[in-house]
Amino acid sequence: MKILIVDDERDVEDLFRQKLRKEIRSGMLELEFAFSGKEALDILASENPPKVVYVFSDINMPGMSGLEMLEIIKERFPQIQVSMISAYGDEANYKKAMDSGAKEFYTKPVNFENLKKEIASLSTSTF
Amino acid sequence: MILINIISLFLLYYLKKSSGPEGFPVHLNRYFNYGMVASGIFIVLGATQLPPEFLFELLSFALVGAIIYLILNTPELEYQKTLAITPLPIIGVQLLEYLIETISPSIYDILENYLDAAGFFALIWAVTMWLNHRKQMKELEIERIFLKEQERQLKATAEQKNQLEALVAERTSEILKQKEELQKALNHLQSTQSQLIQQEKLASLGQLTAGIAHEIKNPLNFVNNFSELSVDFLEEIGEEMAKISDSPEKENILELLEDVKSNLVKIRHHGSRADSIVRSMLMHSRGGTGSMEPTDLNALIREYANLAFHGMRANPKPINVDIKLDFDEKLPQIKLNGEDFSRVILNLVKNSFDAMRDKISALGNEYKAKVEIRTKDLGDQILIEVEDNGPGVPDEIRDKLLMPFFTTKKGTEGTGLGLSITHDIIKSHEGKLEIESKVGEFTRFSILLPKIKSTEKSS
Ligand SMILES: [Mg+2]
Repeated sequence: MKILIVDDERDVEDLFRQKLRKEIRSGMLELEFAFSGKEALDILASENPPKVVYVFSDINMPGMSGLEMLEIIKERFPQIQVSMISAYGDEANYKKAMDSGAKEFYTKPVNFENLKKEIASLSTSTF
Repeated sequence: MILINIISLFLLYYLKKSSGPEGFPVHLNRYFNYGMVASGIFIVLGATQLPPEFLFELLSFALVGAIIYLILNTPELEYQKTLAITPLPIIGVQLLEYLIETISPSIYDILENYLDAAGFFALIWAVTMWLNHRKQMKELEIERIFLKEQERQLKATAEQKNQLEALVAERTSEILKQKEELQKALNHLQSTQSQLIQQEKLASLGQLTAGIAHEIKNPLNFVNNFSELSVDFLEEIGEEMAKISDSPEKENILELLEDVKSNLVKIRHHGSRADSIVRSMLMHSRGGTGSMEPTDLNALIREYANLAFHGMRANPKPINVDIKLDFDEKLPQIKLNGEDFSRVILNLVKNSFDAMRDKISALGNEYKAKVEIRTKDLGDQILIEVEDNGPGVPDEIRDKLLMPFFTTKKGTEGTGLGLSITHDIIKSHEGKLEIESKVGEFTRFSILLPKIKSTEKSS
């Protein structure tokens, strides 16, 4: 199961790789990282159909915002689940994300327990 | 001789009638009346030719003389002076005739023709003078009417002037009132403006705060998660280390790893502390979202006091507390932002728990911690009281209690924003928060909430 994580901060890669080390090692998860919305869309477009089944994305990023990217993904790849991870957990962002088809909304600092549960539920439902 | 009395009667009658609208003094009128009666008697006596003719004639002259004297010497009759002169020649001739006839009838016979002629001329004189007098009187009358008219006009003008002045005064007071109202409106506008500026400043400060708070969350994300990860890794390392045979180096490494782990736990702890500060700050700056809905305040308090209690029991360092709810069951529903207001109850109750925990650790089991929450309908306001029998708040810090980042909690326990947020929420409900306390005995937070907000009143 391939998951794409989108965030403008590069340390996110280390964090996710370390936090999900067991899952990656066991082969249950494959992680891919993009550091902008555009990069994420390029990755998704490079495979047909994309192997990525779930995207976790930051909202506040230079260039394309996570919410803009969410809309495009939902339009082009409606089968891919998208959840947002943002420091801005306010009502407006939350509503915008949910209205655009986000599955979940996580606030930073990320609680990986919840994140792992979400990923686990996904793997049991899709595989 | 009848002529003299007729003249007397005529003069008196004329004088009496000539009185203006003001009338003559009473004594003058009495003179006229007596004089007229006397002249009437004399006329009758003269007609009957009753003796003593001599006395009667003398009295007739005296009467007419008195009348003329009266006219000339009474200020009220000043304008009738010509009237006094009018009959004078006739009276003179009559007097002369009378004197001559009485003293020497023989001479009277000789002079009779002359005297008749003089009488005739005296009559012409009298008629002329009379006409002249009439003319004068008419002129006087016209003048009098003219003066009266002038006076009337003057009076009318004065009245008009008074009316105008009253009107001007009325208008002036109206304008003054309008000016005052305008001034009031202006003042109101100015204060609203300064309030708006203040709010604007606060809003932009709030936005800045919110921005900073949000941005801090990104590095905090790494701090908290990496430290957590490292603690996990150290545990794994510990497991692996157990497989290596013991040596002084291994012991040293294990000790160091233990220190690193404890440091990481501290980093994690302070990271989550920073996170809770940031979250409180965001609540602070979030402001007035959520709507005011009619709420059953008693139910809300019951629910959140309960929640605070169970939260406290589930957390480290639980205490035994007796919670007493004393509600006014007839409390009407009140418009509240339920989400915000529940935070007020949570904060106040948690605050009491924390204060009482300190007292428990100071006094031990003798002390029975107790929180009492009361509601009361005060008419146009609702009173909510949260009272604990904790350590109390010294006067010198009571004022600081509501300031952001002021905390009495030791070390890292509080964010210092709880009561400040509570106060803000109460203010946004147009309520008041008062703190009463006696050190060592009690602390009572009283919230006064208006039933109807000013925003509702104005609309
Ligand atoms: Mg970002």
